[in-house]
Amino acid sequence: MRFFLLALAFVVSGCASTQPDTVLRGDPLDVMFLQMMLPHHQQGVEMVALAKDRAQDEELRMLAAAIEQTQVTEADTMRNWLTSWGEPLTAPPDAHAGHGGMRESDPEEVERLTALKGAEFDQRLANVMIAHQDDAVQMARWETGSGASQEVKALADRIDKSRTAQISMMRKFLDRV
Amino acid sequence: MKTRTRLALASLSATTAVVVAFIVPTTPAIAHGTMSDPASRVYTCKNEGPETPKSDACKAAVAAGGTQAYYDWNEVSLLEAGGRHRQLIPDGKLCSAGRDKYRGLDLQRADWPAKRVSPGALTVTYHASAPHSNSNFEFYITRDGWNPTMPLRWSDLVHLQTFNNQNPSTFTNWTLNLPNRSGRHIVYSIWQRVVGSNEAFYTCSDVDFGGGTTNPPTTTTTPQPPTTTTTTTQPPAGGTWAAGTTYSIGNRVTYGGVNYECQLAHTAIAGWEPPNTPALWRRL
Repeated sequence: MRFFLLALAFVVSGCASTQPDTVLRGDPLDVMFLQMMLPHHQQGVEMVALAKDRAQDEELRMLAAAIEQTQVTEADTMRNWLTSWGEPLTAPPDAHAGHGGMRESDPEEVERLTALKGAEFDQRLANVMIAHQDDAVQMARWETGSGASQEVKALADRIDKSRTAQISMMRKFLDRV
Repeated sequence: MKTRTRLALASLSATTAVVVAFIVPTTPAIAHGTMSDPASRVYTCKNEGPETPKSDACKAAVAAGGTQAYYDWNEVSLLEAGGRHRQLIPDGKLCSAGRDKYRGLDLQRADWPAKRVSPGALTVTYHASAPHSNSNFEFYITRDGWNPTMPLRWSDLVHLQTFNNQNPSTFTNWTLNLPNRSGRHIVYSIWQRVVGSNEAFYTCSDVDFGGGTTNPPTTTTTPQPPTTTTTTTQPPAGGTWAAGTTYSIGNRVTYGGVNYECQLAHTAIAGWEPPNTPALWRRL
């Protein structure tokens, strides 16, 4: 298999100087970043999707819908990269032992949010999503600072910028209500 | 997450270090921890219970920034710090590490639960739920004349001691030598990982030397000035895409010389440029 990949890399690149590992396989940090961001994205989507039936504030509902849809397409992009590198979409459970578990919101938070409606829901969703996206900013800066792939780093940079802007919008919302 | 972490840690301890090193050869690890004695602000509010804080200070912190920070009490950290603490964390936000998630910890109040201390030896304990070898721990105390109703600035910190290349366990003790102070102060710590990660952790622990003036009245300071209500800018027909503009379905913009049509109502922000957000914009 290894020989086949090397051979294939040679054929695909058509250039002996290309490093096969960077063509066909992901850098370990890029892979870990994506494997951590994917479930984080999914949890975020799960939380903002609750806004459709529960949010009272129109601006917050609009922001939640846009976050949901953009993160769904980002997750597709991230899955495609991992698949193209032959990497699993989630890291083996043991792999996370070394870094003390993953940063993700408590799944129980989804239950707490589900129990709320109206102004109470809005306030809790804004605070939880500020925390959630603040974690995303941290992971994104880790990738832009220490990752390898230019396109993964470019995505991480967009995650950094857009989540920072979302946090600012949600803080303005909290100041307003 | 907590259960998952504990399970992961349990499996880690059951496995030899050699095997673990083989499984995760070069990946930077994410550690977790905070000061447990004197308890950091985040540790205090976590122990009171994120949904049912007892002290007025923790109640105010939860009201100001939500509960999530106290579930994630062991992550007041910057993943890519790499020693650039003073560059990355603005004055006034040292307790939150400059992170919005933890903004409740920056509240300037004289009633944060504080440990009674005296000048001289103080044994401190750090609770690392995910300890990692080879880390530097720096400890500081606020300067004479500072009190917790003031913003905490880098220039307010007086260095006490640094312990380099430490290999912390779940609970690690160090002994510091406290100078003469009166009233309330903060013991500040920085845990900077050295090998395999740039991550650093920050803690604010309130201490009370007593003998100071009586506690100044609590100010209810909100961390941010109130902002004006968001004004919705109407997009000019066929104008250039601009962050801050609210677009409706069907609105058309140009970006990089290309035309796009809005697919989902939203307020544009940096990072959501039309070529990168097919969920929001359709290329024409």
